[in-house]
Amino acid sequence: MSTTALSSSSTGSTGQPPPRRKAPRRPKPAPGTQRISPLRVIGLTVVWLFTAFNLLVLYWLIMAAFKTPLEIFREPLSLPATLFERGTPFRNFVYAWESAEFGTAFLNTVILVAVCSVVIVLVSAPAAYALSRLGVRGSGPMTAFIAIGMGVPFQTVIIPLFIAMSEIDLNNNLFGLALIYVALSLPFTVFLLTGFFRSLPDELEEAASIDGASATRTFWSIMLPLARGGLITALILNAIGLWNETLLAIVFLQENANFTLARALFTFYNAASYQSEYGGLLAGVAIIVLPMLVMYILLARRIITGLTLGAGK
Amino acid sequence: MATVSFRGATRYYAGNDKPAVDGLDLEVADGEFLVLVGPSGCGKSTTLRMLAGLEGVDDGQIWIGDKNVTDMEPRARDIAMVFQNYALYPHMTVHENIAFHLKIAKMPKDQRDARVQEAAKLLDLEPYLDRKPAKLSGGQRQRVAMGRAIVRQPQVFCMDEPLSNLDAKLRVQTRTQIASLQRRLGTTTIYVTHDQVEAMTMGDRVAVMRDGLLQQCDTPVGLFAKPRNVFVAGFIGSPAMNLIPARLSDAGVALGGATIPLTPAQKAAVTGTEVIVGIRPEGWDTVAASEGLPVTIEAVEELGSDQYLYGSSEAEVVAAGEDVEHREAPHPIVIRTPGMSDWSRGQQLGVRPRTGAVHLFDKETGNRLPDA
Amino acid sequence: MTTSVVTPPASGHQPGAGGRGTPAAHVARRKKLFWPFVAPTLVLYGLFLVVPTLATVVLSFSNWRGAGDTPQFTGFTQYAQMFSDDGFQNAFVNTLIYITLGGVGTFVLAFLFTMVLRDMRGNKMVRAILFFPNIVAPVALGMFFGVVYRYQPNRQGLANYLLESVGLSAVKFLEADSVTWVVLGSIIWASAGFYITILMAAVDRIPPYLYEDASIAGASPWQKFRNITLPLTWDVVGIAGVLWTINAIKIFELVFVMAGSGTYAPPIHTWTLGIFVFDRSFGGTPAYGAACACAVVMIVLVSVFVVALRRLLRRDAIQF
Repeated sequence: MSTTALSSSSTGSTGQPPPRRKAPRRPKPAPGTQRISPLRVIGLTVVWLFTAFNLLVLYWLIMAAFKTPLEIFREPLSLPATLFERGTPFRNFVYAWESAEFGTAFLNTVILVAVCSVVIVLVSAPAAYALSRLGVRGSGPMTAFIAIGMGVPFQTVIIPLFIAMSEIDLNNNLFGLALIYVALSLPFTVFLLTGFFRSLPDELEEAASIDGASATRTFWSIMLPLARGGLITALILNAIGLWNETLLAIVFLQENANFTLARALFTFYNAASYQSEYGGLLAGVAIIVLPMLVMYILLARRIITGLTLGAGK
Repeated sequence: MATVSFRGATRYYAGNDKPAVDGLDLEVADGEFLVLVGPSGCGKSTTLRMLAGLEGVDDGQIWIGDKNVTDMEPRARDIAMVFQNYALYPHMTVHENIAFHLKIAKMPKDQRDARVQEAAKLLDLEPYLDRKPAKLSGGQRQRVAMGRAIVRQPQVFCMDEPLSNLDAKLRVQTRTQIASLQRRLGTTTIYVTHDQVEAMTMGDRVAVMRDGLLQQCDTPVGLFAKPRNVFVAGFIGSPAMNLIPARLSDAGVALGGATIPLTPAQKAAVTGTEVIVGIRPEGWDTVAASEGLPVTIEAVEELGSDQYLYGSSEAEVVAAGEDVEHREAPHPIVIRTPGMSDWSRGQQLGVRPRTGAVHLFDKETGNRLPDA
Repeated sequence: MTTSVVTPPASGHQPGAGGRGTPAAHVARRKKLFWPFVAPTLVLYGLFLVVPTLATVVLSFSNWRGAGDTPQFTGFTQYAQMFSDDGFQNAFVNTLIYITLGGVGTFVLAFLFTMVLRDMRGNKMVRAILFFPNIVAPVALGMFFGVVYRYQPNRQGLANYLLESVGLSAVKFLEADSVTWVVLGSIIWASAGFYITILMAAVDRIPPYLYEDASIAGASPWQKFRNITLPLTWDVVGIAGVLWTINAIKIFELVFVMAGSGTYAPPIHTWTLGIFVFDRSFGGTPAYGAACACAVVMIVLVSVFVVALRRLLRRDAIQF
């Protein structure tokens, strides 16, 4: 394709086609951009060290989950061997799964995270739409009032919430925790989605009302689909946040059967380090990290742009 | 002041085997205003950016004066650039913007201020020195960008479509201002545009580029009178030149009842059996429909001083001396007639090329046939 | 950046209240949706955030232990006792260190990266790798660090293994006099990616021709940073600073797990305000009054920092 383009371009012009050269694999950078300045050298070194360190950490974590404690500490950088030789490569995972009841915890977490993320978006989207697009007086201050909630540390609300939830028997109850998760995730989600709704053009809404669509219908069939990117981003960000949430799970869940992964890991840590089960411990860490890692690899761009959009406003 | 010379300058982009600029050879004289023109993607901006040092040069050399600047950093080249979007710093006032380069060059503050004042006076920017760019009109921003280039007192100005963000009226006005400013300062200037009118009105010489290759570099008159190939012929001039393919015979080329004879040199230069006849809209004589090349008028564009007829010919391009009629598909024809003439849609007329108004090109290569 | 919101001039008027600027019928109709749409959020927000926060403030003036006793209001006694408490003093100082030094460290790192990442090959990939620790649960990070920083001759954690393999002697990272700085470093490592990403998104919005013009002027990387990157990302820096404060003040699991055994609170020299609250409510002996007082201190601290940051970083909005 490139050769034909080259020859056709030369016919129209100078008569003699120029000698066909091979394009360099990498075009020369602009002069000066590769100049060695001390700041650049420091910066590049730090960037590469940092990047390499992150990769090393990930490698170490995954490898350690397949190692015996001795290997973890004596040969931290080598590939796992002993457990493979014994024919039980997943021994650590089995240990963590069984002794910390990660099976139940995994199921609990998946259901809790899925339900909560969806409900959060279902509650936040109409509110964000109303606050950003209906032009009702006081929308601005009200949005700000809700956004302030992002700055409230959870530690500020856990004591009264704990007392109240105990009163109505929702303590040590996944439904109760779900309720708290939904409520405490609203400030961030509403804030994120108002940004998305604000960026939508007015014309479509106006066209819908000219077509005689009712206000509710306009919202459901015009605005929501338009904000789909934002809704999905909100869903993903909340899912990551809740998957990793620990403090509230520690406070509001006391029984193993109700534990989420982060909560189970928290309890497991003590037992495993007491028994020097470092392999099992890191397998436990891997169990909570790997699903997020897979999600991150698949959705990195969306996660990053979503977060920066929320912050950049 | 300095000359600029491109010696086989070539630029590739990653992932594309075809160079964006291919072996460009071009000499620009000291103090000359050279315009690089061509359709988008022709490599004109890349050429300018290579000169400014914003792009690497993969092959060949670039010289400014007696210095080979090919691998020099932009700042060592003593050039100033005016960007298409002006590249004004939004957080700095007009004064700070104009002074920015001098400040980086560590010029003492009083000298700096004097130069800024001088430039502001020259460009009518004095009342706006304390404003930020966002509070300026498009024309004022353009002048700030010019001011920033002028205060450097560089050897070469590089201008990358500096007028394309202005509205049509302001563009015409600013065009003459820039040209006269350049002539007053006498600084060698390379000016990139896609607008051939801008190129023809501003440049001492105009270099036409296409697909990374230089097509022709000549004075505006030279380009208009003797386009070197079909591309230049069609690109320069508005409305564009009529380019009509015709078959060649021993006697010459027949067009609309007239036969255009070819000189022996021209005949020798033709590679195939067909040529392209180029006639500008003003190069036709109108005659009765039966006499010349018959044209049916499809639209009339009345400009007051001139009138353009857009029509199509049943281009009966018959090779003289041949028995068989060689019919082509209807060919669009543009004809210039005096303003307020009495033509209307649907009418038929005949046209005949005026002597001396005919350009001949080889159909295979697209190159102009020798004139003598 | 400017966004248009449907705000008719008379949006404050009730329909029909004045002849001038009465909103169009469809706008008025849509406005009826406001309360049904906003109500669920406001109710949940009120019940789970506003009311509990107020309750915490009220409880902070009581001596309630939360162990079956009846709260008695004792004014500022809880605060007075708390401020003289070793655990709180440690927690307060540590939290201040994490917010300020951690913030400075993170942002210096992030700025250094913005200078390099902008025109570096493969920068998208590098950014994704730098961001990675932010998707890992802090509790998992804490455990991971706990193993990395382990000190036990012949069975060293990764950090000491690396130190020993280059011939240095092992360090007791989690000892009293070094743990704050080790935690600080870990926090900076774990969170830098997030702030780098935010700042880079802002840097990406700066038109490239400004940097090109600066190149022609002969500006050094530092001058480009000083004259272009910093002033043009200033508003985002401000927001990132606020986010940093909010996130740094509630640091809890990471330190709790990294420096401790997991079940009980770690030694008090590692404490943060978040750990203090947890220890006084759900960790050791309950003392809800003191925990609430500390929670109030957290809120006050966030407010002070956020207001100060906004003041400090306020600049005119920049339009490109």
